[in-house]
Order: sequence, then C-alpha cells, then structure tokens
Amino acid sequence: MNEIPRHIQLSSVGSEQEYFRYPEDIREEFIQTDDIEFRDGSRVTAAEVWEYLTTVGPVKFPNLYDTSNLFTGRLSRDVTLPFTLKHNYLLMTMHERMTKAKAQGHPIVFVQGGQSVDPYYAAGAIALRPASTGIWARRQREGLTRNQDELEGQQDKQKAYNAISFEVCNSAGYEHIQEGNVPADMVAPYTALRCSDVSYGTEAHRHGPRSDQVKLLLVDYPLDHQKDKDWAIRYFADNVRRLIKNIDGLTGRTTTEDDLAREIKLHNEGRRLSVEIADLWWSAIDPPTNGKDRRDLFQLGGMEVHGDPVASLSILREAKGYIERRVRDGHKTKGVQDNAARLFVCGSCVFPNDYRCEEAGGIIVGNDNHWSDITTIINESGDPYYELAKGVLSYPYEQPLPERAKWTVEQIKKSRTDGVLFLYKWGCNTQSAIARLLVDEIKAQAGVPTIIIEDDMTRTQTEQLQNRVNAFIEMVS
Amino acid sequence: MTLKSVDVILKRLAERPAELAAARAAGAKVVGFQGYSLPEELIHALGLIPLRIGLGGSDRLVELGGRYISTKNCVYVRETVGLFADDTDPYINNSDIFAFDATCLQTFRTAEVVQYYFKKNVLIVGVPRNFYLEEAETYFTAELRHFVSRLEEFAGAKLSFEKLADSIALYDQIRDEILAIYEYQATARPLISWEEVFDVIQAGYVLDRRDYLGLLQALHDELAAGQGAAVIAGADDEARIFISGSVIPPGDKKLISIIDQLGGRVVGDDLWSGLIPYVEVDIKEPTIAAVAWAYLHRTPHGALPYLDLATDGRIARLKSLIGKFKANGVIYHTLRYCDPYTFKAKETKDILENIGIPLLELHTEYAGSDVEAIRTRVEAFIEMIKLKTETGVAA
Ligand code: SF4
Ligand code: SF4
Repeated sequence: MNEIPRHIQLSSVGSEQEYFRYPEDIREEFIQTDDIEFRDGSRVTAAEVWEYLTTVGPVKFPNLYDTSNLFTGRLSRDVTLPFTLKHNYLLMTMHERMTKAKAQGHPIVFVQGGQSVDPYYAAGAIALRPASTGIWARRQREGLTRNQDELEGQQDKQKAYNAISFEVCNSAGYEHIQEGNVPADMVAPYTALRCSDVSYGTEAHRHGPRSDQVKLLLVDYPLDHQKDKDWAIRYFADNVRRLIKNIDGLTGRTTTEDDLAREIKLHNEGRRLSVEIADLWWSAIDPPTNGKDRRDLFQLGGMEVHGDPVASLSILREAKGYIERRVRDGHKTKGVQDNAARLFVCGSCVFPNDYRCEEAGGIIVGNDNHWSDITTIINESGDPYYELAKGVLSYPYEQPLPERAKWTVEQIKKSRTDGVLFLYKWGCNTQSAIARLLVDEIKAQAGVPTIIIEDDMTRTQTEQLQNRVNAFIEMVS
Repeated sequence: MTLKSVDVILKRLAERPAELAAARAAGAKVVGFQGYSLPEELIHALGLIPLRIGLGGSDRLVELGGRYISTKNCVYVRETVGLFADDTDPYINNSDIFAFDATCLQTFRTAEVVQYYFKKNVLIVGVPRNFYLEEAETYFTAELRHFVSRLEEFAGAKLSFEKLADSIALYDQIRDEILAIYEYQATARPLISWEEVFDVIQAGYVLDRRDYLGLLQALHDELAAGQGAAVIAGADDEARIFISGSVIPPGDKKLISIIDQLGGRVVGDDLWSGLIPYVEVDIKEPTIAAVAWAYLHRTPHGALPYLDLATDGRIARLKSLIGKFKANGVIYHTLRYCDPYTFKAKETKDILENIGIPLLELHTEYAGSDVEAIRTRVEAFIEMIKLKTETGVAA
C-alpha cells in the first residue's frame, strides 16, 4: 500500500510541511453517497473515490494536499459536502481519464474559458479550456511538493513566452500541446471579445513542433450587438457547423442535428442546475459554503472543467440537494465569519485567494467571468445550430458595455454584494480596457464600492493583490 | 531639398482644419474613423467627409487616455482616447460622428470608451476574424450594409450606384498614384525619401480626397519629370531597411528619426499606416458586396489571425515587398500590449532568417526613456547589414 507523506522537506524554504488528510470519521457517510457517472457509461462509487483521495492522491499529488492558506487551490475543509471530494477526485484523475477517453476515440480539442462546449461534445470530442489543459499536464507529474509544482508550472509558461512572446497571457495551451504532453488534436476556441490573447495564441500553433498534428480552427464570434443581428447569428452558426465538420473529420462519424440538440439539452440541465444552486446560495442569510466551494459549484454548470460533462452533471445533481438542506437549516460555514463582507469579482481569469479573503472577514459570492455563459440557457426547439448561435452570441459578458453592466448589476443585487473587485491580468487588453468603464457604471447603477486591481502573475504581486483585496474588505465591512 | 509638390501637400494639410470648419459651417457632415477594414469609399459616396483620426508619439496624450482606457492597452489606442479627452484635436473636434471597426479588439474597446466617456455618436463595424472563409463575405457584406444604412440616416441621403462608382474610381486612382509614387523612394538616387512618402500618405487621411488626388498627380508628375521612370535598383552599399509591425501613426517619429540619424535608409514598409492599405484593392463593381469582398481580400491586418503559415497572405506580401524594394534588413516595430504584432515577431524573424533577411524587433512605447537603447540596437543592426552587404554575405 502507498504511504502517505506526512512530512516533506520544502526545498525552497527548508521547513517541514504538514499535509491535509480527509478525516476518517466522515468516511461512512461519504461512501453512502451517489456514484459518479461517466460519459462512456462507466461509474465510480463513492467508496472508490474515498480510497483514491485517501491513499492514492496523497502519494501522487502531495502538492494538492498542502495545507497552506497561501495556496489558492487548497482542498476545501468543508468535507461534509460530497461534491467537493468528487470534484477533487475528477481533477486528480484528469490524466488517466483523458488518456482513456482519447484511446476510446474522443479527439481532444482546446477551447477557451467562459464559452459553452455543447458542439464539441455533440461531435464526440473533449473540449478543454486552459485550466483543464494545465491540470491534465500537471497531473502527469507525481510526487511534487507545491513549490516544485508551481516552479514547473512557471517553467511551462516560460516555454510559451519563448515561443510566442513574453506578453502572452493565454498561450492557448501552447506549451503543453506543442510539447506533446497534452495530445490535443485540435485547437478550436471561440474568438470572443473576452480574451485578447486566444486568437493569436491559436495562430502561434502554426509554427510549433507539432503543427502538422494539431488542427487549428477559430469559431469566429462576431462583435457589436451580435445577438440582435440575424446575419451575425447565421455567421456564427456556420462557424459551429464548420467546427463540427472538422471534428467529424477526426472521428470519422457524422454528427447530426439531433446529436447537437441532445447535447444542448444535457448542457442546459447543467446550466439550469448551476443557476438554481446560485439562487439558493444567494438566498441564504449566511453563506452555505465557503467561497472556493461556491465557485467550483457555480462553474460546474459550464460542464467542461472535468472533460466529461456527464460526470460534472452527476455531481452537480447531487450537490443541489445538499445546498438546499444547508440553506433550509441555516447552516453556518466554518471559516466564514459572521456578517462577512460579500464581494463580487469582475474581470478575467484572476481570482483572489478565497481562504484569505475569508480570514480577512470577507467572502466572494459571485463573479462575471465563467458565469455569463452558464446563465445563458439555449432554446431547445428549432434549428439547434441557429439556436445555439443565438444563445452564445447573447452572453452578457460579451455584450456592449451598457448591457454587460446591466446584467452584472443584476448579479450583484441578487447576490447582495457589498463591494465589487475588478481584477485583470497583466496583458489582458480587452478586459483591462473597460475596467474603469464597467466599475463606473456599476457604481452609478448599484451604488456599491468598487476597486480595480491588476495582477501581474508573479508571487510577490499576488501578495500585493491580496493585501489590496483585504484592505478593500476592511473598507466595505 | 523638398519637392515643390510635397511642400504644397504640407501646406494644404496646415490649412485643412480651417477648411473643415468652414465646410461644416456650410452644412457638410464629417465622419471621423479608425480601423483597417472600414471602406472609406462608402462614407465618401454618401457625400460625407471621411477623416482618418488618431495620432501617435505624445506621451502626454497616452497618459491622459490611460486614465479612461487602461495603461495596459497599446499606446496608439491610449493616445486616441487621449485625443478625445484632450478635446483640442481639430479632426476630432470637426467630426460629427465616429466610426470604428473591430479589426483589432482594442480598437473596438476604444469605440466603447469614446462612446461612454465622451458621449460621442459612434458606429462600429464588425470584422470577421475568419476573413478568408466564404461565410465571412456574407457576414461582412451584411455588416457594411448595416453601416451604410446608419450612415444614410445620419447623412439624410441614400447610397446610389453612380455615386459609389464615382467614389470607387476616385479611390482607385488615389491608390494607383500612391503605389506609383512609393516606387520612387526606393530607387537608387531618389528625389523623395520614404519618410516623405509616408507623410504624403498620411496627409491623405484628412485632406479632401479629390484635392488629394490632384496633389498626388502633381507629385507624380514632378518625380517623373525629375527622375524619369522609377527603377528600383539595389544600391549595394546601403543598409536598405524595411519596416514592419505595429502601426506608426502620424506624429510618431521616434523610430523613423533614429533610423534616419544613424544613416539607415528605409525603402519599404508593410504597415497599415503606410503602404499596405493601397496594395491590390480590387473592387470589381460598385456594390457593397464587391466592396466587402475587396476589403477582405487585401493583405490581412496582423490583428486578423490566419492559421496556416504556408498560405498566409501577410507573410507572402511581406516577402514580396522586401524583394521588390530590395531591402536587406527588417526592423519589426512592436508597440507594448500590441498582441496582434508582438505575438508574431519571433515567427516572422524565423521565416525571414530562412531567406537571409535579418530582423530586429523593437518593442517600444512613445516614452523617450528607451530612445538610447533603441539607438544602440538600431546602430548595431545597420552596421551588421552594411557589413553583410559589403562582404556579400546572405541576401
Ligand atoms: S486574462 Fe485575459 S488575456 Fe489572459 S486568458 Fe484571460 S481573458 Fe485572455
Ligand atoms: S493592432 Fe496593435 S497597435 Fe494597432 S490598435 Fe491593435 S493593439 Fe494597437
């Protein structure tokens, strides 16, 4: 049997590190919970999940069991929520599961975050956004401490900087895909306005060492009142058709309109569940979970984070009941302070450390990024291509500013937000460009305090970012 | 010595703000626009005055613009916003409506910021990123139709076949003249320098287009009289430099003057603020669909991604222009936060290296703090090219 490393020397700081363990006393209850179902019809029982998390995971990925609050991805301590364990299991097994799915004939397609993935799955592919691509790549490295893992992550990114530009933020998985450690067959994201990098990151694959093995395609997302223009909807629908045809070229099958309609239905269920969970969560006087679990839960409705929508859906279905019970029972979440300052995060791809926000007396209750696509339910009747296109082009995050602001204010009001953080990464040109504009409009419409913070993705800056967030929490508390 | 006709163009440029104000007072309507894929012909054909707005080179305006848009946008975009905030630019102040296209996402954001903070009447034209696909033509045609219908409302006039035909003919002539004049600057002992041609091209952004055509014809005549035909023969002892990369708008003299001071000679460019918009624009008939087709089939702007290196029209054009103007080195100019061109710098360098053309990337802003560093790098680059040319290495 594998031995769990209780103490590992951290080379960079020379201190001893304690590792988190799931407490034995929750085992009995946990193993009675639902199985996770997978897209290929297989299942894994809660007992198997438990076994993995308590014996295999700690040995393979000690970094993930790091207890430091500085670690944004730290495993949630709210262990009586089965979904958190299952979600972590799915992330830890990313490499094995994706490798198996690829061997079963599912092409791997790189997409961007904040977009729906219905058409990719309808055509039998697996759509992975940058975070999931990174998780797959990093789950191939075993036995690393958090510091070692972070260092390797930075070295990976450096490869993209060298191959493309040091101003790269989203390299479209370049470093993993062109190195071959994520065997993607296609890079085919939506080109939406949200991201200033992904189109050029995709283009950069044309000169990579695996350029002859990776098909490139952009699903072109038209701009400017796109959802109100029939020609823009048709154009996007044509792009989706082209995407599906290209995936069909890889699988050798023909995706029908019924396949797409079925997939939309499945993904709609996930989106609806997430929205319902959000409404429940926001309705509670005290936050029914911590911020990290909230974010994971809300984002599950995107059905893409695990590379298996059926698996995401199965844990989402189960999670809803738990949240309902907690809200009904007035559950108080450990680690979240009474009357915590409720924060809403706008912007792109940056998130403050939930645990540290909670220590400082705040809690993040919502965000616009990776939420606007989840709140968009696709019409299930009519031509699925047209309806999908119409839905996708109506993502609030991608609308002209007044509309984006209106939707954001609605979320802020629903979530009873006390303060808004607009965060953007260094080099995120299209989000940084409207940071001031959006917060000015939010201030005008919702009357809540706001702050804009830039993250330059280095550790020292992350500390500064957190300090500013904490100061803001103090101010709005 | 400056050519007489160039002097006239510069003089007309100085007079233009007053002329515009007078035209507006007499009822003319002006459209200030920015973007690579926005067909001026359509504006012109509606009897509106098109002005290409935007300047570069002012740190003060960049700082001012950065207060509205972020400091993480390219300086060109920041300066454009700064011009609106400053409220003294005669071309912006003489525009009644503004049009921006979405070729570059940052231009799209500029439009949003200008609309919000400066309460300007703004029109936006969507541009397909998959510009090479058949469905992109349908989409872009519809976008241009939509643009025209909104301009028609604004102009109180309908676009007619005849007027569009006239405008296209006028712009075709302007393009032909620019291409012809451009050749002269690359000849062995030119009467006009690339810098002067560059200024002449940019004067056309705001001058009355019919006047401008006359001025170009006069310049062409003067060059032909003084020099005969434009024969581009490689002067082997020179560092013949080609400029590529991010926009160098009117007012941004930083790089050009450094090259000039160091004895380098620019003989060509593929900048969208230089030669490239005028090359091979083939509007086959006076219809919006034909205009859309022609604009999509020009040399692609760097902000429009193209996924196959082997058939990339932008790279092909770059190589052919380098050959045509007998350049022996490329200065690839990238503005900070200009992802469209910055992301392609290394790739372009590798491609050109394969054909024996060295490339120097200069990543810069408008601030003067890096002038010395740029000077040193350009100096070394020019020396290297001269040495290579003298010793007959490569190219
Ligand atoms: S931070 Fe901005 S540029 Fe970077 S991946 Fe996210 S959306 Fe794209
Ligand atoms: S292409 Fe580059 S220089 Fe031009 S507006 Fe876009 S980011 Fe700025």
